Amino acid sequence: MKMSSCRHSGFQKLFLILTFFMLLGIPAVAAEPEAESTESKIDISGMIFGHIGDSYEWHFTNIGDTPIAIPLPVILYSKERGEWFTFSSSKVEEEDYQGFYIAEEGDYAGKIVERNASGEEVRPVDISLTKNAVALILNCIILTCIILSCARWYKGKEASTDSPKGFIGLMEMMISMVYNDIVKANIPVHVQRYAPYLLTAFFFIFLNNLIGLIPGSANITGNIAVTCVLAFCTFLMVNLFGNKEYWKEIFWADVPGPLKPIMAVIEFIGLFTKPVALAIRLFANIMAGHAAMLALFGVIFITSSMGALLGGVMTPLSLFFCIFLNLLELLVAFIQAYVFTMLSAVFIGLSQPSHHHAE
Amino acid sequence: MLSSILLEAVAYVGAAIGAGIVAVGAGIGLGKIGGSAMDAMARQPEAISKIQTPMIIIGALVEGVSLIGVVTCLLVVLMK
Amino acid sequence: MSLLIPDSGLLFWMIISFGVVFVILAKFGWPIITNMVDERKKYIDDSILKAKEANEKLAQIQEESNMLLKQAQEQQSKILAEAMEMRNQIVEKAKTEATVAGQKLLAEAKQQIESEKEDAIRDIRRQVGILSVEIAEKVLRQNLKNDNEQMAMVNRMLDEIMK
Repeated sequence: MKMSSCRHSGFQKLFLILTFFMLLGIPAVAAEPEAESTESKIDISGMIFGHIGDSYEWHFTNIGDTPIAIPLPVILYSKERGEWFTFSSSKVEEEDYQGFYIAEEGDYAGKIVERNASGEEVRPVDISLTKNAVALILNCIILTCIILSCARWYKGKEASTDSPKGFIGLMEMMISMVYNDIVKANIPVHVQRYAPYLLTAFFFIFLNNLIGLIPGSANITGNIAVTCVLAFCTFLMVNLFGNKEYWKEIFWADVPGPLKPIMAVIEFIGLFTKPVALAIRLFANIMAGHAAMLALFGVIFITSSMGALLGGVMTPLSLFFCIFLNLLELLVAFIQAYVFTMLSAVFIGLSQPSHHHAE
Repeated sequence: MLSSILLEAVAYVGAAIGAGIVAVGAGIGLGKIGGSAMDAMARQPEAISKIQTPMIIIGALVEGVSLIGVVTCLLVVLMK
Repeated sequence: MSLLIPDSGLLFWMIISFGVVFVILAKFGWPIITNMVDERKKYIDDSILKAKEANEKLAQIQEESNMLLKQAQEQQSKILAEAMEMRNQIVEKAKTEATVAGQKLLAEAKQQIESEKEDAIRDIRRQVGILSVEIAEKVLRQNLKNDNEQMAMVNRMLDEIMK
């Protein structure tokens, strides 16, 4: 009882101190001239969306006024002109290039657009190697290298000789975890058919989640296009190989007569909502984690622009929360990969109802 | 002019409140799942591996619903 | 808004890169590793089973040897018991024989002693007879020196007889 009251008073004290410093900070904000504050205004939402979104160049930071960025190739097919264009993104960053420019606002804000004959902004077919695409390809190469190097270790070895150590041992532990606890536990038959996809999905998501947490890297699994493709693959895996009982359960469920069409509709909708939920879950989790972390980083800059004292107080606090959130994101990186794979395996397992179960 | 600003403000407020309610709902749901799972695990420690998988799946389903709510809130903010 | 709508370019690259990674890994990566994991699992299971069997065999062997030892011990104790019994028998027999022999000897000795005693008694008796006759002769000779005395004697004797 005494402890809790002590702690309570401690919190109260901390709160009082914080409020006090905030009150100190307010006059500083108020005292600042309007013009200066608008000029040095920090665009937090711009920063956040810039980081979690995509861009044509890989922008790391600004030193002074010079941006440190890697220009990436832009690949376009203009339907208006009927030809392919390939150029460096540095050419369109500031000005028009061959009629292409990056839209400031509108439906295509931040994307490369051109004007058609009637002067409207239209989007060319854009398969540019954007920041996310390049990071995606890099991560895919890393993943392939890791797994193939593991596989090479096993070549020409007998199960009875020795077990891997070090990094390959770690990989084997994770692979057998996914293989035994997720794949085999949920899929009763044809394990060999589904295991490669589920293992690939797990390690793809896990690696991209982890690499996404490195400052300066791209937010790949927090991008809806990536998660859509993954979910679509799961959708294909579930429905391409679903057996007769599965389709019977969907369109002619084991319910009383009048309910059959209703259940069929519900189940049919469920076919599509499952993968959509998969895609949105992964995307929203990773995106929200990045956004929350960036917002906490943003607190540092906002408060220091409001006053040195407030900034000084809030910086360590938000730094602490950032570290905490980063560790949480490490956990989330694993959990989301696990959950995506687990749910995919469950859906696949449901598409293979056994004969005994159906009877 | 004023009405459009007001509308935008209402949209923001709605999105924020929605996000808050989503958090509450997800919290209740996950808390219930976690609580009962803990109970079950404490009662039958030998069944932990059997409990864990459905727990994670149901947790993911609850989370999926809440995330759809979050995305809706995000849509409200982003679709001005 | 661009956050929630999949970008076609990225979709394209994602399909290509994920597809390539999937095909490569499904062909050269996962089957090797999962087969190995399965094989090792099987090997470990087999080894455990074998170890269990070996343990059981060992236990059986131990039990057998224990049984053998026990049997040997039993036999030993049995032999010992038999030997003891035999010894006892022999001793008993010897004892009885000894007693029988002793008794026989004793009886013989007794008989001899008895007969010798009888002989001696007979001898003594004869000697005593002889001696008493001699003594009586001497006493009579001394007492019957005169007639009176002879008469008194005769009288006394007669009296004695008469009585």
